Amino acid sequence: MSLKTDKPPMRSAAWRISLWATLAFACGTMVVFVFLQSFVAGDIQRRSDAWLSGEVEVLGDVAERTPKDALYGRVVGEVAELAAREVPNKEASETASNDSVFFLQSGVDGSLKLWVGVGNGQDHLKAIRATEIPPDHPTDVRVPGFRVPFRVACLRADDGSHIYLGLSERDELRVLRSLRLRFFLLWLLIVLLGFGIVFLTTRRMLSHVQKITEAASRIGHSDLIARVPTTKRNDEVSHLALTLNRMLDRIESSMHQLHTITDSLAHDLRSPLTAIRGKLEMSLSTITDGEQIDPIVSVIDELDRLTDFLNKSLDVAEAKADALRLTRSAVDLNELLRVMIDLYEPSMSERGLRVSLQSSGPVRILADAALLHRMVANLLDNELNHLPANRTLTIQLRGKEDTASLILEDDGPGFDSEVLLHVFERRVKGRDSSGHGLGLAFVDAVARAHGGSVAVSNREGGGARIAITLPASPEPSSHSQLLASSSSN
Amino acid sequence: MRLLLVEDEIDIQSFLRRSLEESGYQVEVASDGKTAQRLAAESSFDILIVDLGLPDQDGISLILRLRQLGLRAPVLILSARRSVDDRVRGLEQGGDDYLTKPFALAELLARLRNLLKRNSSAAGEATRLRVLDLELDLLRREASRGGQVLQLTQQEFVLLEYLCKNAGRVVTRSMILDKVWGMRIQPDTNVVDVHIYRLRGKVDGAGQQPLIRTMRGVGYVLKDR
Repeated sequence: MSLKTDKPPMRSAAWRISLWATLAFACGTMVVFVFLQSFVAGDIQRRSDAWLSGEVEVLGDVAERTPKDALYGRVVGEVAELAAREVPNKEASETASNDSVFFLQSGVDGSLKLWVGVGNGQDHLKAIRATEIPPDHPTDVRVPGFRVPFRVACLRADDGSHIYLGLSERDELRVLRSLRLRFFLLWLLIVLLGFGIVFLTTRRMLSHVQKITEAASRIGHSDLIARVPTTKRNDEVSHLALTLNRMLDRIESSMHQLHTITDSLAHDLRSPLTAIRGKLEMSLSTITDGEQIDPIVSVIDELDRLTDFLNKSLDVAEAKADALRLTRSAVDLNELLRVMIDLYEPSMSERGLRVSLQSSGPVRILADAALLHRMVANLLDNELNHLPANRTLTIQLRGKEDTASLILEDDGPGFDSEVLLHVFERRVKGRDSSGHGLGLAFVDAVARAHGGSVAVSNREGGGARIAITLPASPEPSSHSQLLASSSSN
Repeated sequence: MRLLLVEDEIDIQSFLRRSLEESGYQVEVASDGKTAQRLAAESSFDILIVDLGLPDQDGISLILRLRQLGLRAPVLILSARRSVDDRVRGLEQGGDDYLTKPFALAELLARLRNLLKRNSSAAGEATRLRVLDLELDLLRREASRGGQVLQLTQQEFVLLEYLCKNAGRVVTRSMILDKVWGMRIQPDTNVVDVHIYRLRGKVDGAGQQPLIRTMRGVGYVLKDR
């Protein structure tokens, strides 16, 4: 058997477990990645700062040594160009001109003395002026027209001019961005993979539990011979299955013992009853004197009542232990009641009682027809024995989706209040009752054996009310019903 | 009619033997399965009565064994057990019958008759029944006595039909409940008697010979002579 297909996976425990496990896993790996990324970013920054500081010193050196003649600009420019080619983290740019590095020398008055780079350098100079750049400590400078800030190192020459070397952080950011993208994709992959593995594993494990639940719910409704499925693995779930099976073994064996006891009790009592009854019948056939017949006839009647009492007692005892064996077949309660009322109606009207059946048509259930016959006979016998003349018995039969309800109402004296409290117990009967006090206990036993119930009360206007509910079939028809019944236990 | 009675309880054995012989059966008795097998092998029987609880073996195993050995005669199974074994149901489907202890002798005899009738070639179902001056038309569901049509309800007709088919023989209340109403119950009240009284009121009119007799302690009989 597989998992119930009508249950969406989002509502399964496996889904919830995998969701939480994945969340924890995702957060953990995210923290690790963020830490790694910041470490790498810091390292890249440190390397480029070291390069900048080194290069600006070289350039300052060159600028100082080169005579300030017409060739000064060209010499320093060449050196700056050369330095720019060694930029770390550099990617081959599409354009021939190098816009990721600039060299700028400002005079004492702050005017642009020398510029190596793309454009005229005025924007850069303006931006540098606006920013305080300490010597020996490269700083970020934002230049209008450039999306990415420049890292600028500064050196003050002896003649009072400043030398600036700027390096665009574009390449550095690009490296970090690609690192982050790879990290993210990798993270997504392992999170999804982790979720899948956790979900499949838990679902597999819980499907065993589900199978055990389904099997266990079937057992007891139908038979005690079946067992829940076990696995070869030696885990908690297989322990659960084994424990359940051991418990079922014990229940089955005590059930079997109960059946053995009731069977042998029935056998031991029925055999002598048979012999006594047979002998009485034999003697009856030889006697013709009416006066001698009477006591024998009444003894035979008593014996039959005793037999009936024995049968009912054992049925009630077994039903109280949930061990009454049923032979189920499709039964139309409407038809069954009509036949029973047909049988009882003459006796009822003989005693001045009216009986009416209110039913809206066939009500089919899976039940033990013989037990239902005996149950209804019990109820009608009860009414016949206890209802005073000129009263009415109303029997209502209602069939709902998966239950049938049978309600008997009369306008008689109703139940004694002390009887009402213990009405289903054996040997409880009304003061004037001539029965053996098994009647309603038997009715309750039959209803229980079918998975139904009986409610007994006195009507407001006077009279007794007996309501019997029987399920249409022994198996719970839906999962929700199963849950409802298990939660009410 | 030769009958083999397999029953280990001496008390039951003796009264069954007597009443069966009174009813015209030639009875052989076996107290255990072994004896039963020997007797069945030695001579042939028309019918068997087998108790399920034998001292040496299970009654059903005995029946199955006898069937293997070629026994054709029908079997009436007696049981004091509470539940009906699945194998008993199987035998019931195979044409055998089942009776729970304790039972009324009349019922035992009726079941034996039924088994024997079933086993012989079934005589064509009669469409008319006639007992003395009582006549039943089974097709038109009409009963008349001495030419006078009786006003019977459907249920009363079925009851009278059952009595007529067993005319001259005792039928018990539980047999009537079983065959006419189709239920095996043991009512605390005299529901069957009231039906019989009503029927009697219609069948046995004033000045007529009463046909439906009460056999006290046993049941009813429809007189056929």
